[in-house]
Amino acid sequence: MDSIIIAQMAVSGALMGLVYALIAYGFQLTYSTSKSINFGQGELVMLSAFFSLTLLNWGVPYWLMVPGGLLFGVLLGLVVERAGVRLALEQKSEGWILLTIIIGLLGFSAAENIWGRDDRPFPTPISSDALQVFGVSITPLEISVALGVFTVMGLIELFKRKTLLGKAFEAVSADRDAAELMGISATRTIMLSYGLSGLVAAMAGILISPITTVGPTMASALILKAFSVAVVAGLDSGFGVVVIGIFLGALESLTSYYLGSGWREAPGLILLILALAVRPNGVFGKASIRKV
Amino acid sequence: MLKRLLLIRGAELIALMLLAIIPLAVNNSYALGLLTLLAIYGILLIGLDVTVGYLGQVNLAHAAFLGLGAYAAGLSVSLLGFGMLSALATSLVAGLIFGGLLAFPALRLEGPQFALATLSFSALSTTVLNEWEVLTGGAQGLQVSRPIFFGHTVNAQGFYWLCLILLALVWMAMRNLLSSQWGRAFEALRDSPIATDAMGVGTYRHKVAGFALGSALGGLAGGLYAFNFQYLQPQSFVYELMVILLLGVVLGGRKSLWGAFFGASLIALLPNLLSNRLLFEVISALGLLVALAAGVRGLMKKTTRPFQAIAPIIAMGLLVVGGMLVANTEDWRKAIFALMLFSVVVGLPDGLMGFAARFLTRLFRIDPPALPPPALLDAVLPARHTDGKPLLDLQDLKRYFGGVKAVDGISMTISSGQVHGLIGPNGSGKSTAVNVISGLYAPTAGEMLLQGKPLPKGSLFKVARFGIARTFQNLQLFGELSALDNVMVAMKGVYRSTLPLVLLGFARGEEKRAQAEALALLELVGLKRQARVRARDLTYGAQRFLEIARALARKPELLILDEPAAGLAHPDVSNLLEIIRRIHQRGITIILIEHHMDVVSELCDVVTVLDGGKVIAKGTPDEVKRDPKVIEAYLGTAAGSAA
Repeated sequence: MDSIIIAQMAVSGALMGLVYALIAYGFQLTYSTSKSINFGQGELVMLSAFFSLTLLNWGVPYWLMVPGGLLFGVLLGLVVERAGVRLALEQKSEGWILLTIIIGLLGFSAAENIWGRDDRPFPTPISSDALQVFGVSITPLEISVALGVFTVMGLIELFKRKTLLGKAFEAVSADRDAAELMGISATRTIMLSYGLSGLVAAMAGILISPITTVGPTMASALILKAFSVAVVAGLDSGFGVVVIGIFLGALESLTSYYLGSGWREAPGLILLILALAVRPNGVFGKASIRKV
Repeated sequence: MLKRLLLIRGAELIALMLLAIIPLAVNNSYALGLLTLLAIYGILLIGLDVTVGYLGQVNLAHAAFLGLGAYAAGLSVSLLGFGMLSALATSLVAGLIFGGLLAFPALRLEGPQFALATLSFSALSTTVLNEWEVLTGGAQGLQVSRPIFFGHTVNAQGFYWLCLILLALVWMAMRNLLSSQWGRAFEALRDSPIATDAMGVGTYRHKVAGFALGSALGGLAGGLYAFNFQYLQPQSFVYELMVILLLGVVLGGRKSLWGAFFGASLIALLPNLLSNRLLFEVISALGLLVALAAGVRGLMKKTTRPFQAIAPIIAMGLLVVGGMLVANTEDWRKAIFALMLFSVVVGLPDGLMGFAARFLTRLFRIDPPALPPPALLDAVLPARHTDGKPLLDLQDLKRYFGGVKAVDGISMTISSGQVHGLIGPNGSGKSTAVNVISGLYAPTAGEMLLQGKPLPKGSLFKVARFGIARTFQNLQLFGELSALDNVMVAMKGVYRSTLPLVLLGFARGEEKRAQAEALALLELVGLKRQARVRARDLTYGAQRFLEIARALARKPELLILDEPAAGLAHPDVSNLLEIIRRIHQRGITIILIEHHMDVVSELCDVVTVLDGGKVIAKGTPDEVKRDPKVIEAYLGTAAGSAA
């Protein structure tokens, strides 16, 4: 009996963990091109989810809402890049940390006032009737989360490898200066990476909202976990974020079962600090050599 | 000099007196509450400025330290029956310990990772304060009673004066600290952690110390906060407060005590500013006007980028328009903070105080404090007796990067008093070799002996302390520091005062001595007149010479010059030759890595030639130039050139 509860907890936690992995993947996209990440990424997830909910309330069918919500995410990503990141990168400063936090706060405040402070349900056509697999119940909704995460990550990886634009992306990630000398605009590539990162955030919002409901506070809850996943896995390993995301999701769900839901954030935060102390490049990351 | 002292100290004294007598003149408990909060936030922001301004890191944990200090003070009274002073000491120590604990894992981190570590710490401490209900009362909150102070109960007015006295003490102690070697070291490690280690200053210890100290002030402010409000809740110390604190520091002006004070006044007044509609409209309109004026001026003079001029105008415009549209400005509090902070970070990165300080120094014609006369060079760098015995001995030194054998078994001896040239084609392993010697990389295999003693491996800091100083091929100056400070920060054998003495202001004597010695070294490289110029504003050639002066401040046995002539114009190359000759005359042994063969022939007693990570020739410059293996390495084989 007990082992079934543990398995149940671990499986539902792991499926949630895939969403953390997806948001963490969004950090990787921008980190690879510009060595910067959006500290307000949680707000992008939340704002895109609210926008998608509004589309649904206007009577837009679910499957048309999805591209609409994703487009909104892309736009937000581009705004963050233009307003918060580009200037700091041009000045080779770390000002983007503060600026992306500020833009996130602006988004948070806007959401609080436009959509209210309460959590709201997010309707979905996908069934949440449980299926029994080896005694563990899984809903089609949870399976759709996993499918959605892998589809988006797979498509973006395919885009990076198979298209010319994607190869430009890889080139800037590998060596920005060399790519510029080859006529690739680093600025545009960084814009592209922020757009994609916004898209990924919107997808995460659309996938997770039917399970968790939508509310302004979802931003801070999600971003801390996504940070943990990204840092523990390393900021350059797409495979790593999936593994660590699953692990952390399961760990978190078990923690909240045994210690109480107030402690659910704790393991991720402790892992993050430990990872930074012991392996700053992450478990799956490559060590970098100091150069002078 | 006297004028400077009078004006600056006078302004501080007048401000303190004014603040102290306001409660006697105005009998208003609301105003008294605001003043108390101002003093508490003042201490808090001075602490935050150490990490944000001096260490240059985005610190998102300061609100958490405020909370931890507050709970520590409150619990020490309710559980242990502490009095006021011991409770405040507890809060200070709580900040110091937690800050130190966080700094240890965070010590290797830069920028975003550091921000992430502090953010997680902050969230973690909120979780603990919320969930450890037995101790903290959880979300219900904790009642705190104001403890007795030497047997007396303290009323609101007395408590305000206590806060003010503490603010004044913190102010003086931090002024002493930040204008000493410690403050310089903080700024140095912000600009170049590698050079800070290579100059024997110690990035790690200063970073931990700076962060722990800033956090301790956060904890102390927390103790005062607890006894001021007498009721604590974990929700008070979350993210939103952190953003407000950052707004205070950035708007007031980084690296400035006055800036922290102005920032504190602003954030103490913020709630009033938001609740009074008219006041809000006036302030936002003023903000827009300032943004417009500064933006237009910046664009006309071309001192700012278009984005820096236009973005604050848009943000302030949003604030004005939004202020007219929304029903209740308090609901939009966070958005208002965000817009204000955005405009300041983008448009006024030096803050109000940075701007005001420049304006006031011009208005009152305040000169920078006078410099002492330079010390005698013989006192700074006494001429060494050289005996030509082996100084540095490398035995079969190897350094591999994965499969790349950058240094593949180098054995060589550097004799004391010589200028030893190290040459070779690009990629021959010269730079890697000196990086291994100076401790940037640990060797894969091999031994290094300095005067017969094994050299520490893989630590720039330890090697620097062992008596080896170096310059960098890609300059690693402390850009924001003046030329003088760049040399002073590396100065060996001057700073002996312990931290408490520095805080009390007893380190001024050694400060003067360090200045005099640094000036002598700047004179040696011909930069005495530019002593006050920021390093990043110097010409390229002057920057190269400054690196040499800074390395000499280590008073080294062995000086490693890594391509000092790279990129120098011709007149500067002759200056460089002259400088190196003068250093050589003082008996300092030099390893010179160089591409210019004329520089090598001119200066070097012995030359070692590397190729493919191995030594292919050694001898006098003339012998080496005729060596067929060397010619082959540089020009290719005869067969190759014939084909």
